[in-house]
Amino acid sequence: MGKYIYRTVLQIVPVLFIISLIVFILVHVTGDPVNLMLPDTATPEEREILTAALGLDQPLYIQYGLYMKNLLSGDFGTSFRYNESALPIVLERLPASFELAGAAMLIAVVLAVPLGILSAVKRNSLLDLILSSISVLGKAMPNFWVGIMLILLFSVSLGMLPVSGRGTLQHLVLPAITLGTGVSVEMMRLIRSSMLEILGQDYIRTARSKGLWETVVINKHALRNALIPVVTITALQLTNLVSGALVTETVFAWPGMGQLLVQAVYTHDMAIVQAAVFVIALMVIFVNLASDIVYGLLDPRIKYR
Amino acid sequence: MKFFIKANAVVLILTLILAGCGGKEAGSGAAPGGSNSTNGEPAGEKTLTIAQGNDIMGFDIHNHSNTPTEAVHINLFEYLVKKDKDMNRVPGLALSWEKLDDLTWRFQLRDDVKFHNGDPFTSADVKYTLDRVRADKTLVDNSAYKLIESVNIIDDHTVDIVTSVPDPILLNRLSRLGSGVLPSKYIEENGFDYFLKNPIGTGPYKFSNWIRDDRIELVKNSDYYGDEPKWDKLVFRAIPEDSTRVAEVLTGNVDIAMNIPPEDMERIESNDTTHTIQFASQRVMNLIVRHTEGRVTADPKVREAIDLAIDKQALVDGIVEGAGVVTRTGVGPGNFGAQPDLYEAALYDPEKAKQLLAEAGYPDGLTLTLSSPTGRYMKDKDIAQAIAANLEEVGIKVNLEILEWSKFSEKNKSNSFDELYLFGNGNSMFDAYLPLSNNSAQNVVGSIDYNNPRVEELLSLAEKNLNEPEREQQLQEVQNILAEDRPRIYLFQTKSNYGVNDRIEYQPRLDEMFIADEILLK
Repeated sequence: MGKYIYRTVLQIVPVLFIISLIVFILVHVTGDPVNLMLPDTATPEEREILTAALGLDQPLYIQYGLYMKNLLSGDFGTSFRYNESALPIVLERLPASFELAGAAMLIAVVLAVPLGILSAVKRNSLLDLILSSISVLGKAMPNFWVGIMLILLFSVSLGMLPVSGRGTLQHLVLPAITLGTGVSVEMMRLIRSSMLEILGQDYIRTARSKGLWETVVINKHALRNALIPVVTITALQLTNLVSGALVTETVFAWPGMGQLLVQAVYTHDMAIVQAAVFVIALMVIFVNLASDIVYGLLDPRIKYR
Repeated sequence: MKFFIKANAVVLILTLILAGCGGKEAGSGAAPGGSNSTNGEPAGEKTLTIAQGNDIMGFDIHNHSNTPTEAVHINLFEYLVKKDKDMNRVPGLALSWEKLDDLTWRFQLRDDVKFHNGDPFTSADVKYTLDRVRADKTLVDNSAYKLIESVNIIDDHTVDIVTSVPDPILLNRLSRLGSGVLPSKYIEENGFDYFLKNPIGTGPYKFSNWIRDDRIELVKNSDYYGDEPKWDKLVFRAIPEDSTRVAEVLTGNVDIAMNIPPEDMERIESNDTTHTIQFASQRVMNLIVRHTEGRVTADPKVREAIDLAIDKQALVDGIVEGAGVVTRTGVGPGNFGAQPDLYEAALYDPEKAKQLLAEAGYPDGLTLTLSSPTGRYMKDKDIAQAIAANLEEVGIKVNLEILEWSKFSEKNKSNSFDELYLFGNGNSMFDAYLPLSNNSAQNVVGSIDYNNPRVEELLSLAEKNLNEPEREQQLQEVQNILAEDRPRIYLFQTKSNYGVNDRIEYQPRLDEMFIADEILLK
């Protein structure tokens, strides 16, 4: 295990290098920020001056060299939009993103685990049918629509919760439900199918034939094995939620990473896009590593070399 | 079972830790205890909350060209010359001004003004501010100030501004974005980066807190030299999603919401505690027409036929649901040099359009390309589609090209559009010269290739003419010529839609500024 972790950590360097190269090329070939920064009336000469000032008149490989040189000292460049260093702007978004992702994941797990088990154990019952229909429906409803409906119901009609923004715990409720329910339907279906597969195994029949109580069979023998893929999915979803909750963040005016990235892409704010993708990549790598470790702990048969 | 609990506990703890990482406040410059607008308002504190679609660009007043940003800044930084509600020039930080000669203006400054940190406001601050923006060519707003040759301090409260050529719109420049006076001593002592995080100005409100893409909070400046500020706190929220902005105004969390979609106006109007306001903006929607040799639109009859085929009033009534005024010029009332005969006027005669096409040698119609951005202006794509339908009715087949804004913008800057493209031009200078000079030959060579020597002559005269009545005539004549030549076919001046809480008395301004002390609590 120690060797495996050591090797994975070593792999981070080339992975980050490749990611930074890809992102660099993508943001530089997809558009010119100068057009968006200057007013409509700007003359070609003014555009040239600004292009040179931003260093965008240099050949791409020189720009990349400069970018990598600065990157090694932790400098991701200056945000065109904010005229400030990019990395702190990205990092200041993490608390808001973690807060929303954490709350959403909590809701997802609390809903999905018991309902998924129930749905598998009571297979083909009316309950299973209802739960399966709900999960299909949940998957079919887009986040922005759910978000707007929740706002109309709980904020506009009932006046129970704030519409948008971040601040108190109440502000967290609607966006967390919007995001969390979306994840939970997927997770519930996964738990259900994973449980069903395991419930059909020989050792479950053996356990039952020994005369064990059904609850023991389900909780001790089946669930333990069914949860392994769920842990992996949870970990992966978590990074997804931190970096990609852009629709929910936009609907609820939540100042997280998603909104930052969307705005940065719209305005071709290259430094922000590069810094944000770098941070997200780092997060994904570490969460994957952590989930691999947890995986090994959960299932003693899994060995990493 | 034990395992189930353990595994679930791992996930729960992980999520709780992550949730715990989120503090109550985030962001640079976040002051502790920043209240939220919904229910965190202490008793008796008067808070005005305004929702815009975008966050501000930061506090470098010289490095953006963004009206919503200026609308916030104007409460913090003040201009030498201000504009009142009717866009008349009134004294700001300058008590009076006079023209010494064609190139030199003398400003008498107030001597009772202090910055938010207590430093006195003097001529040195004016010099610092204008020198920075006129000299640094890499600043986005440099182009509006580069005619200023020098700023000379006469004494602590007298300053001369010298321009390189006679500049009839110097006062307009000094009453807009980029000329908010910066604290020179504070910036010299602490550096510009420090200023960007802790901005101070001379205005009635002081910076308190900014959480990017969420809110910016300003608080009352109790030492303000003018009338006592009317609000204890101003909150400007960034809410990008239209329906969320509408919900915020409906629930009373936001006092004023900008850019309400036309289809939501009725809901806000019929709500018991809110109302709507439609108010003219400086933006004029128009079709830019290529005059380039070889294009079908090089023929004036074809251009006239296109103009006559488009039912502008139907665009206003049907597409933007009343949020516009038809016009045949890019200069609306409230701007110096406006031509009133061309405002609230539109041509529409599809029969004559067909006849003109036949005369131009296209009895069976013709084909052209119309490009439009999507999501940039109110209902831009729908406007383009309606125009295409109008043109098809007279026999003009339209290839409609709808582009996302950055793509559209790039195509515009690289002059690669075909015959027609839809644009909305603003005007922060409040003078006809700026929107009209967009049509001058040197600015459109390679793009639409319009060139009328008389227009060139009039524009170059108006650029430097300090005789106001004469200059006004020159600018009006340019508009009359453009209406016939059609480098642009003007459609309508847009109106902005506002949703407003009944507890406040608010009248929008043509310049779209939110000057808090003009907004009253009933």
